[in-house]
Amino acid sequence: MFGDGVARGADVESLWRRDQGTRCEAKSCQTEEISTVEVAVQSHSSRDAGMQTDQSEESIQDLDLQKEAPVDYAGLLSFLQGVEDVVIKELNKNWISHAFDGFEVNWVDQNETVSCLHNLSYPEAQDQKLQVTSISWNATGSVVACSYGRLDDGDWSTEKSYVCTWNLDRRGLNPKCPDLVVDVPSSVMCLAFHPSQPSLIIGGLYSGEVLIWDTSRIEDPLIWRTGMTDDTHTDPVYQVDWLQDSKHSHHFQILSVSTDGKILVWQTERDGQLTLVEGFALVAQQIPRSMKLKKRTRGETAVGVTSLSFSHFDPSVFIIGMEGGYSLKCSTAVETAAVPRTGSSVPLKAPAQFAFSPHGGPVYCVSCSPFHRNLFLSGGTDGHVHLHSMLQAQPLISLQLSKKYLFSVRWSPVRPLVFAAATGEGEVQLFDFGKSSQKPAVSIKQASAQTPVYCIEFNIKQPQLLAAGDASGLLKIWQLSSDFIQQGPREMNHLEQLANEVTD
Amino acid sequence: MAEVEETLKRIQAHKGVIGTIVVNAEGIPIRTTLDNSTTVQYAGLLHQLTMKARSTVRDIDPQNDLTFLRIRSKKHEIMVAPGNL
Repeated sequence: MFGDGVARGADVESLWRRDQGTRCEAKSCQTEEISTVEVAVQSHSSRDAGMQTDQSEESIQDLDLQKEAPVDYAGLLSFLQGVEDVVIKELNKNWISHAFDGFEVNWVDQNETVSCLHNLSYPEAQDQKLQVTSISWNATGSVVACSYGRLDDGDWSTEKSYVCTWNLDRRGLNPKCPDLVVDVPSSVMCLAFHPSQPSLIIGGLYSGEVLIWDTSRIEDPLIWRTGMTDDTHTDPVYQVDWLQDSKHSHHFQILSVSTDGKILVWQTERDGQLTLVEGFALVAQQIPRSMKLKKRTRGETAVGVTSLSFSHFDPSVFIIGMEGGYSLKCSTAVETAAVPRTGSSVPLKAPAQFAFSPHGGPVYCVSCSPFHRNLFLSGGTDGHVHLHSMLQAQPLISLQLSKKYLFSVRWSPVRPLVFAAATGEGEVQLFDFGKSSQKPAVSIKQASAQTPVYCIEFNIKQPQLLAAGDASGLLKIWQLSSDFIQQGPREMNHLEQLANEVTD
Repeated sequence: MAEVEETLKRIQAHKGVIGTIVVNAEGIPIRTTLDNSTTVQYAGLLHQLTMKARSTVRDIDPQNDLTFLRIRSKKHEIMVAPGNL
C-alpha cells in the first residue's frame, strides 16, 4: 500500500530583482550636448560730456513773450494794418452809441421785495433788557454773532453780558437758542470775526479789555485776553478789527479803538496774553489845524475815538471818527510821536494827517468805500450822513436821514452806489445814489420808533443778507431784493463822477 | 517794428480802451498792455471763443467768415478782431 517515494520539489521562480536583473537590459540616456559660445564684450571708447544751465539774461516772467512765439513782424504788421481801421471804427461807434442805454439783462430770478428771514434773540439777554451792541458775520458767511450790552447807559456797570452765535445754514436753527453763548463779565461793545479763520472772534469790552474767543472750543472759548495792565484801554473799546501783517500775510494783529484816545495794536502770545506791539494816540494839540476846535482845550487832552475804518485800497490809511464830531484821515506809517503820556510800554505815535469838517455831534460810524479809494461815509448823532472825499474837508454830499441819531453806516459790498444806515427811529435805510440822492431807496422798519437800531452788517459771502440789531435785543436777518445784489451797468462810472465833484 | 508799436499805441490810446492784447494763431499772446496773469487768462478764453464763433459762422454759410466779435458785459466790453487764418 504505502511505498517510499521521492517527490521532486516545487520550484518557484525567484522574484528577486537580481534575478530579474538578468532579464533587464541596460539603457542609458543623456541630454544632448548644450551648445555654448563664449563671447567677451568691453567698451573700448569713451567720451566725457558736461552740461550746465546758463544764467538767463532776461528777467523772469511768467510769460516770456519774446522767446515763446517767434514773431513774424511782417505778418504782424500786415495784420495790424488791416485790422486797425476796423477796430477804430468800432470803438468810435461804441463811444457814441446809445444802443444799450438802459438795457439790463438778468440771469437769475428777481426777488422784488425785502423780507425778514430770521428773528434771532437770546431770552436771557432780553430778560435783562440788554441791547444788541454789535454784529459780525464770520469768514464763511454762515455764522452771525452778536454781542449784548448797553449803549444808552453812561455809567460803569458790572453787569454780565453775552456773545451769541447762530449758524444760519444749519437745519435745526432755533431762533431763540443760539448755537454758542459766551458769558462775559462786562458789556461787550464791539465784535469782529477773523477774515479767514471762521471760528476766531474778538470782542471789545466796556471795561477796556479785548478778548479773543475760539468758537470751535466748547469748554472754554476764551483763548486770548489783554488783561488789565497799564497798556489796556481805560475807556470802553468801541471798535476792534484784525490787521493783516504786511510782511507775513498769515499773521494777523488785533487793533482796538477806544474813547480814551488810543488806537492800540496787539499781538497774540503763546500764554494766552495779548501784548501791545504798536499804538497811536490822539491828543487835541496834534490834530491838524484845518479845523479850529471850538472849545479851548488843553493841548494834551485826549480826544475820544469812536469808530475806525481802514481803506480797502491802501492798508496804511484809515479814517477815524471822534467824539468831537470830527473825522480824521490817519496813517499807520507815521513817525511823529504822540505827546508823551505815562503808562505805556510802547511809544505811541500821532497818526492824524487831515481833518474833515465836523458833524454836529459825535461820529459813531465811518466806512470807507470798497470801490473807490477816496470816498468814505460818516454818520453822526446829528442824524446826518456825509459822503466825503479824502481830498477835501467839506463833504461832497450831506444827507439828513433821521431826526434822531445815526448809529451805523455801511457800504454795500457789491453795489458801489448803495449804503445802509441804522437810525434811532428803528429803521434801516438803504440809499442808492444811482436812484435818488435825496431819499432812501428802501426803508426797512425793524422796530418801533422808540427802539433804535444800533448796528448793521452786510454779509460779504451772501450779499443778499443784511443783519440788523436793535435796542430790544432782537437780531433780524433781512433778505434784500435783487436790485441790491447785482452791480448795475455803468455804476462805477457814476461813482467816479461823484468822487470827482471835488471843488478846488 | 516801430510801426507795429505805433499802431498798437494808437489803438491803446483811443478813448475808453482799458487794454490791448495781440494773440497769434496758436493762441499765445505776443503783445499786451495788461499784466501777465490777466493776459494769459484772456488769451486762452477768447481764443477758444473766437474759434467757436468762426466755426459757427462758417457752418451756417461756408462762403462767410467772422469779421468781428464783441462781448458786452455789465462792466465792460471785449472786442475781438480776428486775423486771416
